[in-house]
Amino acid sequence: MLIVDKEGILIRYNVKMEKSMTPEDAAAELYPKDELNRAIAEAIFEGEEDDVIDGLKAAIAAGKDPISLIDDSLMVGMKVVTELYDQGVIFLPNVMMSADAMLEGIEFCKAEAGSSPKPKGKVVVHVAEGDVHDIGKSIVAALLRANGYEVVDLGRDVPVDEVIACVKKESPMMLTGTALMTTTMFAFKEVNDRLLEAGIRMPFQCGGGAVNQDFVSTYELGVYGEEAADAPKMADAILAGKSLAELKATFHKH
Amino acid sequence: MAVKKFTTMAYNNADEMVFGRAKSPVKAGLDLEIGAGYTTAEVNYAPRPEAGETKEKLVNEYQRITRDIMARMVQVGFPSVVLETEHVQQMTNNPTWGAEVAHAQKTIMEEYHEEYGIKCALRHTPGDIREDKDFLQLRGDKYNVVMESFEAVADAGADLLSIESMGGKEIFDYAVLRNDIPGMLYAIGVLGSMDMEYLWQGIAKVAQQKNVTPAGDTDCAQANTAMFIAGGLLDKNLAHTLAIIARSLAGARTLSGYEAGATGPGKDCGYENIIIKGITGMPMAFEGKTSTCAHSDVMGNLIMQCCDLWSNESVEYHAEFGGTTVQCWSESLSYDCALMNTALKSGNEKILRDLLMASDRFRDPQSYILAYDNAFKVGQAIVKDGNDIYLRAKNAATECCNLLTGAEGLEMTKFETNALNKAAAELAALTSDSEKFMSDCMEKYKAEVKVFKPENYAL
Ligand code: B12
Repeated sequence: MLIVDKEGILIRYNVKMEKSMTPEDAAAELYPKDELNRAIAEAIFEGEEDDVIDGLKAAIAAGKDPISLIDDSLMVGMKVVTELYDQGVIFLPNVMMSADAMLEGIEFCKAEAGSSPKPKGKVVVHVAEGDVHDIGKSIVAALLRANGYEVVDLGRDVPVDEVIACVKKESPMMLTGTALMTTTMFAFKEVNDRLLEAGIRMPFQCGGGAVNQDFVSTYELGVYGEEAADAPKMADAILAGKSLAELKATFHKH
Repeated sequence: MAVKKFTTMAYNNADEMVFGRAKSPVKAGLDLEIGAGYTTAEVNYAPRPEAGETKEKLVNEYQRITRDIMARMVQVGFPSVVLETEHVQQMTNNPTWGAEVAHAQKTIMEEYHEEYGIKCALRHTPGDIREDKDFLQLRGDKYNVVMESFEAVADAGADLLSIESMGGKEIFDYAVLRNDIPGMLYAIGVLGSMDMEYLWQGIAKVAQQKNVTPAGDTDCAQANTAMFIAGGLLDKNLAHTLAIIARSLAGARTLSGYEAGATGPGKDCGYENIIIKGITGMPMAFEGKTSTCAHSDVMGNLIMQCCDLWSNESVEYHAEFGGTTVQCWSESLSYDCALMNTALKSGNEKILRDLLMASDRFRDPQSYILAYDNAFKVGQAIVKDGNDIYLRAKNAATECCNLLTGAEGLEMTKFETNALNKAAAELAALTSDSEKFMSDCMEKYKAEVKVFKPENYAL
């Protein structure tokens, strides 16, 4: 058998570029100072649901307000996670596990307080009609939730009528669409037309394997989303008051 | 159809495996013999979106595609070709659509065969439509439609029957985004294998009745999803070490089709086929550097090492400067085959195989394990407990971890190594009692995964 040293044949750029800092070190710098909040934030980072609940119980017993804990500990822990994911220090599954733990924590706080906090904003997500490829959409939903947005997830293979009805009912700040097949992505144009017909001018971020910037540029409300992390970034930009044209200028990278 | 589990390897050692030659070649279609000493291009294509509007338009599109390919093959002097039609939904849901397409394609292929003597065969791959909007529906009405589709295309001229079956995917989708190794094992190794055994007995029966070839399946729904999520070297969505664990599990899973009656050639996007070839000795299709039109991978040369059919995965039909896409890609594939066939004829096949393998061996943990020598070891781990679908999948994953841990010449990032170590520890902690694993998983995933319906697996 022939074995040839890789020198001059290929370069493992991921090894070459790897950050020297461990995820734990990087996270340690970002945790809140307060001991009780810190323990919860750490448990979020580790994705340990039981520890999150234990931490919340301890904080509440020490007199902290359950609703404030959402912002002061759960969201702070999650922010550490999404920041490190953005910097390429941790991987997506860590984000998913942390998001699960955070959602459980929020439910617990809501039950303790008997009331709900106000989310940053509401986003409706869906996969185009006729398309069952929903993993990208699930990642988008998880990252939005992780960033403090309320997500209405319509699932996969969603008829245009259902998308429009949901937008009318929920009045979200933004809509996302995912399509992985060239045969299904055309539904986005129809969604766009129907929204405009109904007088709704709302950013409609579209992504997924088959979708490209040229296609999304053909309909007015469309903004192209290349990777899932662009979804919360765009929601943040909308909150910051960016117009549709500005969103396109930012997210149309090609 | 009786199920016969593999408990030994078809080859004495890895070095016996080469491209173009399989222990059990398959005769199919018009004078073609796959794995009988030569390699053949397998061309894949997708109709333009507009073509799906009516049956007439669709049939017409496939006629153009078929004629274009056959014409290019004779223009450049290639001796053989396989065409694969992966159904668009409409073709499987309406079995007569699939049948009309198959008939139209085969008619053209027969014309070329008659006129030029070019050896050829037609593969049809109905979609695995066994699902409702929210749930898999692996057994029942939709299963019957899939079987009708197979019968219809076989009657109409398809020579090779394949599918990309989806058993286990509802658990896998959940597990893969959470680094959940036992969940991946349950999804791919256990549920995937159980569904394939059920499904492929049905397909093999149809093939036998219609006198065509029950070719094979691929773990596209799971191992390829993992590979895509893992992506390139700089992507941060899934450690590549976990993607190759999923692929090793897929070796144990995809084998189930061949145990339930499939005979090869296995389907192109099953990168696990290298493991399967070692175990079964059946011919296999692969795709790599000539499927960049469909996706990127990190082993484009290596994966060609032992192919019998060499595929481009899929390309949308439209014009390019060099002709239509199917002409360009069928030509590229066939030139690769000409090179391999020259190597075979001149006795240099092992040299070429090794050059292909060596050029990608250290590119990624995935290519390292799929290098034929390592893939063979994963195969050996599978057949060691071949009669137990849980244990053999666990063995495959464990062997994959061991090989990576002891790898020489392969550089891995801390991420990859950490994910690997964690996976290895989780695997080591698993029970060796299949029934206990099954009941633990049943309880866990029924609680955690809303869309999991055990009745899909008769559980
Ligand atoms: C996995 C897979 C499947 C799985 C899907 C499992 C699931 N639950 O999703 C299964 C096996 C079920 C499947 C089925 C089919 N598939 Co498929 N599948 C794939 C595959 C291999 C990977 C897709 C994937 O999951 N990628 C990983 C995810 C994470 O990527 P993603 O969704 O693009 O998301 C990323 C970004 O795009 C972005 N993103 C996504 N959405 C959004 C939205 C916003 C707002 C933003 C900001 C970002 C964003 O975020 C993610 C990460 O950053 C692709 C191959 C390929 N080249 O893509 C084929 C592919 C998509 N499938 C294809 C086909 C043809 C099919 C079938 C028709 C096959 C058949 N004959 O049955 C059926 C379709 C059934 C149907 N009606 O939909 C073709 C489509 C060709 C075409 N016409 O365009 C492809 C391209 C394969 C090919 N080369 O031929 N498939």
